[in-house]
Amino acid sequence: MNGSFNKEPLREEPMLSVRDLHVRFSTSKGLVHAVRGVSFDLGRERLGIVGESGSGKSQTGRALLRLTAGNGRIEAEKLMFSGMDLMHANARTMRNIRGSRISMIMQDPKYSLNPVLTVGAQIAESCRRHENIPRTEAKKRALSMLDTVHIREPEKVYSLYPHQVSGGMGQRIMIAMMLITNPDVMIADEPTSALDVTVQMQVLSLLDDMVRERGMGLVLISHDLQLVSSFCDRVLVMYGGRIMETLDAKRLDEAQHPYTRGLLNCLPRLDGRHDDLPVLERDPAWLAQPSDASGVFEQ
Amino acid sequence: MSEHTQTSSSVVSWLLADSPHNAFQARCQRAYISWLSFKSNPIAMLGFFIVLFLCLVALFAPLLTSGDGTTQELSNRLAPPSSEHWFGTDELGRDIYDRIVWGSRVTLYIIFLVSIIVMPIGLIIGTTAGLFGGVVDATLMRITDIFLAFPRLILALAFVAVLGPGLENAVLAIALTTWSPYARLARAETLTLRNSEYILAAQIMGASRVRVLLAHIMPMCMSSTIVRLTLDMAGIILTAAGLGFLGLGAQPPLAEWGAMIASGRDYLLDQWWVPTIPGIAILVVSLGFNLLGDGLRDVLDPRSSGGH
Amino acid sequence: MIDINDFSITFGSGKNQIQAVKNFNLSVAEGESFGLVGESGSGKSTVLRAMVGIYSHWTGTIRIDGQPIAHKRTPASRKHMQMVFQDPYGSLHPRRTVDATLSEPLIIHGMDKREERVLKILGEVGLGPEYRFRYPHQLSGGQRQRVAIARALILEPRVILLDEPTSALDVSVQAEILNLLSALRKAHGLTYVMVSHDLAVVGHLCSRIAVMNRGVVVEEMSEDQMRTGDLKHEYTRQLWTASHGYDRKALAGFKEIA
Repeated sequence: MNGSFNKEPLREEPMLSVRDLHVRFSTSKGLVHAVRGVSFDLGRERLGIVGESGSGKSQTGRALLRLTAGNGRIEAEKLMFSGMDLMHANARTMRNIRGSRISMIMQDPKYSLNPVLTVGAQIAESCRRHENIPRTEAKKRALSMLDTVHIREPEKVYSLYPHQVSGGMGQRIMIAMMLITNPDVMIADEPTSALDVTVQMQVLSLLDDMVRERGMGLVLISHDLQLVSSFCDRVLVMYGGRIMETLDAKRLDEAQHPYTRGLLNCLPRLDGRHDDLPVLERDPAWLAQPSDASGVFEQ
Repeated sequence: MSEHTQTSSSVVSWLLADSPHNAFQARCQRAYISWLSFKSNPIAMLGFFIVLFLCLVALFAPLLTSGDGTTQELSNRLAPPSSEHWFGTDELGRDIYDRIVWGSRVTLYIIFLVSIIVMPIGLIIGTTAGLFGGVVDATLMRITDIFLAFPRLILALAFVAVLGPGLENAVLAIALTTWSPYARLARAETLTLRNSEYILAAQIMGASRVRVLLAHIMPMCMSSTIVRLTLDMAGIILTAAGLGFLGLGAQPPLAEWGAMIASGRDYLLDQWWVPTIPGIAILVVSLGFNLLGDGLRDVLDPRSSGGH
Repeated sequence: MIDINDFSITFGSGKNQIQAVKNFNLSVAEGESFGLVGESGSGKSTVLRAMVGIYSHWTGTIRIDGQPIAHKRTPASRKHMQMVFQDPYGSLHPRRTVDATLSEPLIIHGMDKREERVLKILGEVGLGPEYRFRYPHQLSGGQRQRVAIARALILEPRVILLDEPTSALDVSVQAEILNLLSALRKAHGLTYVMVSHDLAVVGHLCSRIAVMNRGVVVEEMSEDQMRTGDLKHEYTRQLWTASHGYDRKALAGFKEIA
């Protein structure tokens, strides 16, 4: 499978390198093994992680920033970000990396923005936290960033409060806030599922621009296989905490794994008939297999 | 012995069965799972045992004491704690231990009466105001505001002054000054519930407002009311004790902890045990209810147990 | 079966007044399934909610089976039209067992043989009798949605209104629920009105689709149009394109449509 990828020069040096990642949670009902041995590399590309709820896709994204909830434990053979070992980095180093070098966008901007501060102040604040620049300079940068994310009247939007902006606008503001520090890697966890389809496309095109123009690496986590494959370069399909299959997004039709095939087939299609949709049959044997490690660049 | 373990394990498996066979089993299962999570909280269990202990003491008072706590022994006034009088005697030579034990009945009586008055009033007024809205809401809530605006003890004093001193009147006064925050709480919860999809679904089915109120909204408000009441119980006991202290609550010779402190306060410096022992009793019971309430909140909170 | 004429509804008053739906017309034949597609704020759910009587301050006429429905609904008039909601976590009472949830409509409408009916309907939605006494938190999202469908069906209505019934579910569960809904429609001869933001889901279940934007129907399309994308209105075309996944070139041509 791995041989089918075109080796582009920028993929030679992975920015983010994950080997045998495990995330375990101790709950009142016992130990929950959410991520089981996930390995992949991320270059300057758009990597999609797709799975249904409970597949461990979001926990994989969080573990990259060591943002796993308090009762969870992360273990990995290797968790490297451009030469830094994230597994053994101290809290201070992690704080510096989060936001400034690796950013994260969550599903709903309503919960990610502080409701009592204007959006402009929040963007400027995020800028000042990582670079020691004067207030006026920070404001100028925040305004130009709002312009970059295609907000039409940056001056007006700058002084709005989060509840005064629409969902699509809020997500653009979140992206502006995350991009102002010029991160190398962006992790987007269902960034568009709360948005309308047409707005969804606009937000995605924005992320697309950032990858193209800034050479950023993007991890897009989503449940929507079709959307992810139309947007990303590569797709990891997760089930039960494992990677079932790593795919070249353009060759989605050639997917081998029955789970991926099942996910594709059970989607209603615009050109489809009203026949019954094939129902996804889950095979317990999938959970016994080790994670697919072909998302790793050969070295 | 083995037979015993067998039956208990079959009860547990009945309680934890995956698919209950009838509504009764389903309800028992729910209660059992709540109990398991409650049991894992040691502080809450401490509160639970204090309250349980209070109930047991009140229940077995005749067995635990030699008299009814009113027998005077004037030759043995203000005796310090000894093997004969565990907590000493008061200014009339009555055994303080006996009075504490009998006083637990009075305390429980107050708690019981206040609960059965406050809960229904607060729930009905709050949920009605929240569900119906408009004029009904405005009227009911302004009445609630009036009750909220008075300091509790002062309003209780005024009620007792009108109704006359006595335990029942004290209870009534406490209840009338306590219900208003419950109405507010129930109204606030009703307002968030009112637009939830399961309430809309019930209305679409054709459920009347009264049915929605009684069968759908009230059960959801019940748990927070119980928690609030348990947490308030300490305050209620203290108010009752305060009224007793001022001579407006339980009348002598009835053993009431607040009244006992009141009559013993003159002896605080020389015979410290006379007011201190009932004070400790009030402290322990109030603490017990507070700890229990905190634990119940974790178990009963609809946000933690009802949902995801 | 359903005839809506010149339906309008307004929320708020004074400066904050918003006309959520304007001059809406709809006609659905018996046994047909009709789809309403639109983005958030397009007024599609408002129409459904007015039909079942959650909102009562609309103007125009709504006729079900030839009978105009009043603004104030009587319990009996509600029996023939039921609704399935979007969020399977929010639409079941968390303190009631499946049995209590399903029996309640029977009690309200004084229907007999309750136990028999509950067991029968559970079987029809693909849940065995072992689910009868479970609480919602003991069920998965898909199972909850099945219970919600059972609750809508137990009164034997003729019209079912579906408000985004699968958008909170995983795709594999969505397929199961869609299959169930189309099987139930065939078995009972039900009339469906389905609302969704997902063109593909509506297209799968419905034979006619109306696209709404800002309270107005901009275009009505048939199955064929849906397949070929032969659409007149620009907004409908955008929606159709966006539903096919991310396409950078097509996006460049998108416009805000007022």
